[in-house]
Amino acid sequence: MGARRYFFKKTMYALLTLLFVLSFNFVMFRVLPSDPIANLTRSQKLTRDDVAELRHSLGLDQPLPQQFVTYVKETFSLNLGRSILSGRSVWGEIKAALPATIALLSLGTLFATLLGIWVGIKGGWKRGSTFDTSSLFTSQVFWSMSEAWLGMVLIVVFGSILGWFPTGQWQTPGDATQIQRLADWGNHLFLPVLTLTLGYFGEYAIIMRSSLIEVKNDDFVLTARAKGVPDREVRKKHAVPNAFLPTFTLIFLSFGFVLGGAILIEVVFSWPGIGQLEFEAINNLDYPMIQGIFLLSSAAVIFFNLVADLLYSYMDPRIRES
Amino acid sequence: MKKLHKGLLVAVSGFIAMILAAGGAWGQSATQSAPAASSDEKATLTIGVDSDVTSLNPFNLCCGPDYTYLTYVYDIAFGYGDDLTPAPAIVESWTPNGDSTEWTLKVRDDATFNDGTPVTAEDVAFSFSFIVDNKMPYYKDYLPFNPTFTVVDPTTVLWTSEAPTFAPNVPAYIPIIPKHVWEQFVVPGDSGETKAAAKEFANENPVGSGPFVLAEYQQKQFLRFELRPDYWGGQPNSVQEVVLRIYTNQEALVAALKSGEVDFIDGVKPTLFNSLQNQDNIATHQADGGCWGNIAWNFGGQSDKANPAPIIKDKTFRQAMAYSIDRQEIVEKVYQNTSTLGYSILMPGVNGAWQADIPQDLRFDYNPDQTKQMLDSINVVDSNGDGIREDPNTGANLDLDLLTINDVSGSVDTGKLIQGYFSDVGVGSHFTTGDTDLANVVWGTGEFDAYVWDWCPDPDPDFMVSVFTSSQCGGWSDGCYANPDYDKLYALQQTQLDRADRQKTIEEMQLIIAEDVPTMVLNYWGDLQAYRTDRFTGYLPSPAVETGDLIFGWNEKSLFNLTLVGNAAAPASPGLPVWVWLALIGTIAVVVIVVAIARRRPTKEDEVV
Repeated sequence: MGARRYFFKKTMYALLTLLFVLSFNFVMFRVLPSDPIANLTRSQKLTRDDVAELRHSLGLDQPLPQQFVTYVKETFSLNLGRSILSGRSVWGEIKAALPATIALLSLGTLFATLLGIWVGIKGGWKRGSTFDTSSLFTSQVFWSMSEAWLGMVLIVVFGSILGWFPTGQWQTPGDATQIQRLADWGNHLFLPVLTLTLGYFGEYAIIMRSSLIEVKNDDFVLTARAKGVPDREVRKKHAVPNAFLPTFTLIFLSFGFVLGGAILIEVVFSWPGIGQLEFEAINNLDYPMIQGIFLLSSAAVIFFNLVADLLYSYMDPRIRES
Repeated sequence: MKKLHKGLLVAVSGFIAMILAAGGAWGQSATQSAPAASSDEKATLTIGVDSDVTSLNPFNLCCGPDYTYLTYVYDIAFGYGDDLTPAPAIVESWTPNGDSTEWTLKVRDDATFNDGTPVTAEDVAFSFSFIVDNKMPYYKDYLPFNPTFTVVDPTTVLWTSEAPTFAPNVPAYIPIIPKHVWEQFVVPGDSGETKAAAKEFANENPVGSGPFVLAEYQQKQFLRFELRPDYWGGQPNSVQEVVLRIYTNQEALVAALKSGEVDFIDGVKPTLFNSLQNQDNIATHQADGGCWGNIAWNFGGQSDKANPAPIIKDKTFRQAMAYSIDRQEIVEKVYQNTSTLGYSILMPGVNGAWQADIPQDLRFDYNPDQTKQMLDSINVVDSNGDGIREDPNTGANLDLDLLTINDVSGSVDTGKLIQGYFSDVGVGSHFTTGDTDLANVVWGTGEFDAYVWDWCPDPDPDFMVSVFTSSQCGGWSDGCYANPDYDKLYALQQTQLDRADRQKTIEEMQLIIAEDVPTMVLNYWGDLQAYRTDRFTGYLPSPAVETGDLIFGWNEKSLFNLTLVGNAAAPASPGLPVWVWLALIGTIAVVVIVVAIARRRPTKEDEVV
């Protein structure tokens, strides 16, 4: 009964949050003091009538309440509208950009997670050791570093100077076999994934380390040692599973942000994903596109947050009971 | 067990390191030796650009490489010669009747669309009519006075205008679209529906008569164009394929040129452009950017909110302030000498011979002492000794509202310098800075005294000179400058069909603007380009002047003239080879399996319990 009630409560909160985001999404971009049509048409030789017609065709000449009603109706019918900039459907553009973002961010988040957890566990278990000191320092340096800057350094060193990897994009133009195409994607993914991995592993390492240090001195760990369990197994079977909970939440939240894209990384690496789409949309005040991306990424974060909440309660029943 | 685990880990790590090192060395050598070209193989010219096309639909184009795509896939009705005068293209010749209300256009009889269909007068007439009937933006201004287009025979179109026109001489930058593709969108009697339907068409496999076919398009990554062997305009020396690769940041664009991934880059930032000087196998070129920077004054009248300083309406004040501005310093400090001094509203690299030579006395070269004298002469003085001159119309200290725009190249930095110049002569000012959106709003309401912005003229001067007519107040006018004599000259040049007569009138208009200074031209922006000298040779500027554009000019002569240097058909493609990736994935799979098996074995704790 407790579990079902918990599940229902969390799901309702998630839905309410999504509704709030829907409304906020609309209002936020329209209160900014700017005009997307004027921005779009500044350098074009259009008459005022042309501009007015364009504004009308995009529904931007309607009163705000009317625009909001149209927006809600269209959103609930899964019609995200048309891009002001390209004229193409917003959902079509997002769908085209999704695979690139999912590939990049999933791999980057995965490697950052694995590396971060490993570093955090090794460092936290042997606190004060050479490995711990150096890995903590490295984690903090990379975590505080701007990933855009890091990305550019990697491009210059490995792309421009050494010429080992491409300097951007997702694939090389031209024909290729399936295997060659996969290798080509691998080459293009290498530097941006490396950037994400180095840029984000520090977060996981620091949190995992802190959590493990705290758990290490708990009674159940002492009990395991007292039983004669080897140190390695005390760590693996007792300490880490309990210390892992905060990191677990962080992992799910990170995956939630995958669908929002990584604007800086995608712009630095000319990566054709959601982040780049968002960057262009914001620069051009492409309201429908900004709204569509914002809605998608908010929904993804809310969803993964919900999944994290529910799984967390499964892993730690104390959460459910409380 | 522990030793085995560790040993396995060390061995695997060493193996991976070895593969990566080998792969890296391979990758490095791969960049230095791209596949050799054989006589059958395509020579690919790869150009790095900084933005994607807006759309593949010629009626949804906006900016950036849109027009490059347009001219590769479609033919423009009339072409541009080396001096930007009209040249034969799909329309071979155009002959007016006595009063230039009718023009007979002769269409080539050897042109075909890329689907094999011949181009005929029907297509030319349809293309023009489609634009006029449905008021298609971006193109309709090339077709004034409600023209109609009649097919006389398969190679002849009659252009009939309600008033005498020289429009065919402009030349009209209009793509010839295939009637058999686009007539499906025509809704008889409903131009609104037709327009909407045409603009919604994705046009993913564009049918055009241009020199190239769009072979591959990956959004936000690249466009790949293959040469048409049956193109009426002949065949290039070497280029059989053009790839536009899209980079969203300049540093990556420059890195791609240095590593050899691209052959040519365009629109480089000044600081990065300077870093390309004296690099092995790289040459740089400073073309005319097609835009000029300016400081424009506001005369008021756009809206009730417009309230510029009254003194701005005094010509002597504007001339005096022009003397206070050091153009040379702006070019050196803001643009690092990648732009040139500008004086006229028409520029050489775009307008060619239309540009007037502005006499020395109307250039207002930097002379702050002259400024002070002139301000004193019109009673703009500092009467209270606080260091700031007053506006004699109001008695208040001059505190000009200077608008600068942070996403327009050089605007903010130029504005800062100008503020300093004004301060040196005792004229106070303050900044409003925002992006183009804010600037558009402020421009529309007239809530500024002066702004630092830019203009990008067409080759034909009509649009640029129209900006300064009084009828453009609230439209394209910078600050609602109004001069009846100027307006008369504008109306006159619109009717002058003789080039020499029109040129005289256009020159006179430029001199009026230079003297009245409603806007002060500061500099002509450079379009900074760089290319690899070990890939292609034979770049030709367009127009055919020293500062012409080497690749995105007004015709495709340069592209067709390029000759491959060396034997590399395509730029280098760096990265680990396929076998390295396969080995890496295999190694990871092995490690995962080994670890999974090791974890299944009973642990010490299981034994203890």
